[in-house]
Amino acid sequence: MDGTFTQAWLQTVSGGGFPTLTVLTLLPMLFAIFALFIPGELGFAHKAMSLVGSLITGLVGLVVLGQFDRGAVGLQMVDNFNWIPSLGVRWLVGVDGLSLPYVLLTVGLTPIVLIGAWSAIEKRWKEFGIAMLVLETGMLGSLVATDLMTFYVFWEIMLVPMFLIIGIWGGKQRIAATVKFFLYTMFGSLLMLVAILYLYQKGGGTFVLSQLATVQLSDKEQLWLFGAFALAFMIKVPVFPFHTWLPDAHTEAPTPGSVILAGVLLKLGTYGLLRFAIPLFPAAMGKASPLLAVLATIGIVFGALMAYVQTDVKRLVAYSSVSHLGFVMLGIAVFNEEALQGAILQGVNHGLSTGALFLLVGFLYERRHTRAISDFGGIAKTMPVYTAFFVFITMSSVALPLTNGFVGEFLIFAGSFKEGVQSSILPPDGGGVAWRTMVLTCAGVATLGIVLGAVYMLSMVRRVFFGPITNAANELLKDLTWRERFLVGTISAFVLWIGIAPGAMLRLSETTVHAMVQPIRPQIQQVRSKADFQREMRNAAMIRPQPTR
Amino acid sequence: MSLADLQPLMLGLILACAALLVLLVDLVIKPSGKPILGWLTAAILAGTLVASWLLPLEGEVQAGVWQGNLWSTFLARVMISAGLLAVLGGLDYVARVWPYRQGEFYTLLLFSLTGMVLLPGCRELAAFVVCFELMGIPIYVLAAYSKNDNGKKPPEAALKLLLIGAASTALTFFGAALLVGMAGSSRFAELVPYEPGPLHAVAALLLLAGMAFKIGVAPFHMWVPDTYEGSPTPVVAFLSVAPKVAGFAALSSIFLIAMPTLAHAWRPMLWLLVVVTMVVGNLVAIPQTNLKRLMAFSGVAQVGYILLGFLGGAEFGAAMMLFYLATYVFANIGMFLIVHAVAEAGEGEDIVSLNGLARRSPWLALALLMFLLSLAGIPFVAGFWAKFYVFTAAWRAGHGEMVLLGALFATVALFYYLGVARAAFVNKSAIEGPVPVKRPLALAIVVCLLGTVGLGAWPNPLVEAALAAVQGLY
Repeated sequence: MDGTFTQAWLQTVSGGGFPTLTVLTLLPMLFAIFALFIPGELGFAHKAMSLVGSLITGLVGLVVLGQFDRGAVGLQMVDNFNWIPSLGVRWLVGVDGLSLPYVLLTVGLTPIVLIGAWSAIEKRWKEFGIAMLVLETGMLGSLVATDLMTFYVFWEIMLVPMFLIIGIWGGKQRIAATVKFFLYTMFGSLLMLVAILYLYQKGGGTFVLSQLATVQLSDKEQLWLFGAFALAFMIKVPVFPFHTWLPDAHTEAPTPGSVILAGVLLKLGTYGLLRFAIPLFPAAMGKASPLLAVLATIGIVFGALMAYVQTDVKRLVAYSSVSHLGFVMLGIAVFNEEALQGAILQGVNHGLSTGALFLLVGFLYERRHTRAISDFGGIAKTMPVYTAFFVFITMSSVALPLTNGFVGEFLIFAGSFKEGVQSSILPPDGGGVAWRTMVLTCAGVATLGIVLGAVYMLSMVRRVFFGPITNAANELLKDLTWRERFLVGTISAFVLWIGIAPGAMLRLSETTVHAMVQPIRPQIQQVRSKADFQREMRNAAMIRPQPTR
Repeated sequence: MSLADLQPLMLGLILACAALLVLLVDLVIKPSGKPILGWLTAAILAGTLVASWLLPLEGEVQAGVWQGNLWSTFLARVMISAGLLAVLGGLDYVARVWPYRQGEFYTLLLFSLTGMVLLPGCRELAAFVVCFELMGIPIYVLAAYSKNDNGKKPPEAALKLLLIGAASTALTFFGAALLVGMAGSSRFAELVPYEPGPLHAVAALLLLAGMAFKIGVAPFHMWVPDTYEGSPTPVVAFLSVAPKVAGFAALSSIFLIAMPTLAHAWRPMLWLLVVVTMVVGNLVAIPQTNLKRLMAFSGVAQVGYILLGFLGGAEFGAAMMLFYLATYVFANIGMFLIVHAVAEAGEGEDIVSLNGLARRSPWLALALLMFLLSLAGIPFVAGFWAKFYVFTAAWRAGHGEMVLLGALFATVALFYYLGVARAAFVNKSAIEGPVPVKRPLALAIVVCLLGTVGLGAWPNPLVEAALAAVQGLY
């Protein structure tokens, strides 16, 4: 690898001021520590404490958004402290267009989840509030850390509260689900830790991402290390065939657990791929991307088909996650600007719409204590507002235009087809044709996934909401309370906003995506499609690089 | 030789005098006042710990028979802390169960500590063996303190420890005798010639087997679960860490100082033992239902990781071993003290005894969770850095495959540690009301908790101290 591809997007551009990001990350943990000292009998105090903690964190999140410079390439608001000097571990946190959307998603979703939990969680609020706050710190830390060790620490911190949330407040099979969840994730993480260690030795005793990205690695090393990193992240996403923990974890988790799991945790897998695995090992990504594309496509179709045959609404939504994240993975595998923009946005979209779906399913479960589709039918008559929200979110989930899902999936497909077709007819060499054919096929099959998505979601909606009321228990169902309307309404507003005016969200990540693709894509293309690589390099040489804004 | 020449041995001397003092006070004090002995011991240990920073402990005794330096002081601090925590944790228990034998109890413990504290500085085989036995023999007696005072028969647990301990001592002595016979000197520096013969290798392996018994490496671990299960828990808390720390100190002095030229003989053997230890410890821990047995096998597995640091070559590896040991002291003693607290409440020593702990005593459950996470090596508690450091050390020594193995078995270990956490947090208990925890026990648990969490957030000072300490080994 020659040194021409410097990854400017991983360098620090601003920082050293007030440590906003450090405060943002540690604030929930601080509130969790406060909460430790409040007796457990005061359930209300814990509800208030966790909500206030997450709201203040949300405000700090808005400050971060306010200070964020969309046009700058690189990590912003960086705090850089020497955490463990003897080992070279640095507290290095920063945001860019890749992490900021997810940071906002996290700080926004956490209060919503906490308010939603007022009715979903009936016992042991002390533990619950603390677990949620620690989880928020874990998520935020994973998103802002750019020192591999710091990242790993936060990445692992998330496991413990999640273990407790599913284990304590979960359904009947919760123990099996937690063990499966924990061991799956831990297995991947520990292999990643070994890979981090290897890089650390190679890189001369540092964990800083931007420095490790310049380490010279042989192809074989790249492949193994990428494998270890990608496995950890792919288990988290989860990519087919590593998805088997997800339906169990989702089904057994209490509503707040499901919302956070689907809303943020899964996205950390795709985020990790983009932030760490791919920039560190671009050549290996070049080799692996066809496989990733195929796995993503299998996930899309398989998840959709599995969702179609589910009898439990929550399990259906869980499998729909597998399918939706397949789209995100497809965008990542393709790795051009449009597809990546789509992938990042679709991650946020999935967090919003699937989060809302889990909330809605939870509301229904609290009323009827069942989630079997066959127990419902015709409840649109008794719960009109609920039905309206559910149908609206369903539209977002199946990517109807004017909802957020459409924008994200459209961008992913636009990127994929562009990758497959390319602008000119080229001599078929260097693997270019094979790669393009593969992308086209995958994208084609993935379109089928959209259709299937509509089929399983709409058929579920039909069976649950429409037709005559067959079950007497459904005649007395109460419609949504104002609290519930507020929660789903807030999410719906964002769904609509991104659907109608996606520009604001897209601009947030535009510069970063551009700066990320520029150095990494050539290295990927070099491996998977030499002919395209040469053409792209020629084109890039003809267009002189614009001075950055 | 003047008294000033003994200056470097001061910690050991203080402890030996303390042991005698406790014995004397025991003679004159009324039976009702005997609980004061525990407090006295704790105060002396705390004072010794503080003194380790104040006294000048560097220097040689008897022309290099004993060497005081940062290495010996670091280890002494770890051992004394372990002793202090165990004494605090067991204070009320000892006073209640053996009201008339408190004096002996603390005297034995202090004598054992004396042996331990002096062990790391030994640079001569005779002194080494004396310290080794001074450490071991009181422990045989401590382990034999029956759980209730009416037991006439010595428990099987202690007998097993005694027999296996004696066997291991015999092996150690045999190996030592071979070496001294061949070298004509008992100084570490002169023990093994530059080009050792096959008999030297045999001696090395004999010594290795002897030490392996002490630290409980598989397949020399058979006594561990039975002794842990059968002996009183505060004793086990002490027994599970302090002799292990001393054992590793002994391992370091014998193999790194005396036998570097024999590395080709003992290194492969130790690597083999690491693999066996990790596999056996982790896999056998899974089906355990008794907490102390589970902790015994977890301890066996942990030794595998500590050995990884030891084998991780040169100074860095030895330093990481020290760091691991220090974090292990907090987490392991903390675990046993919680087991002790729950058992004291009359719940028994099985995993199911912890059921509903989070409801009953949230703080105790939180501490338990932190100790478990530390033992399992999850970030933000000390154990993670410990595991990470030994992995780094092993990696630097070029043993990536061992790191991989260690990482895989860390996943396995999670399975049984989580089983314990699940009992405390998820399972329900028929019994309501908090678990009563006596003041000194609570204090010991809080110290362990602070150590575990504090070192997790800020491991650097201890790592630096360990790195500095290792300079004294060479």
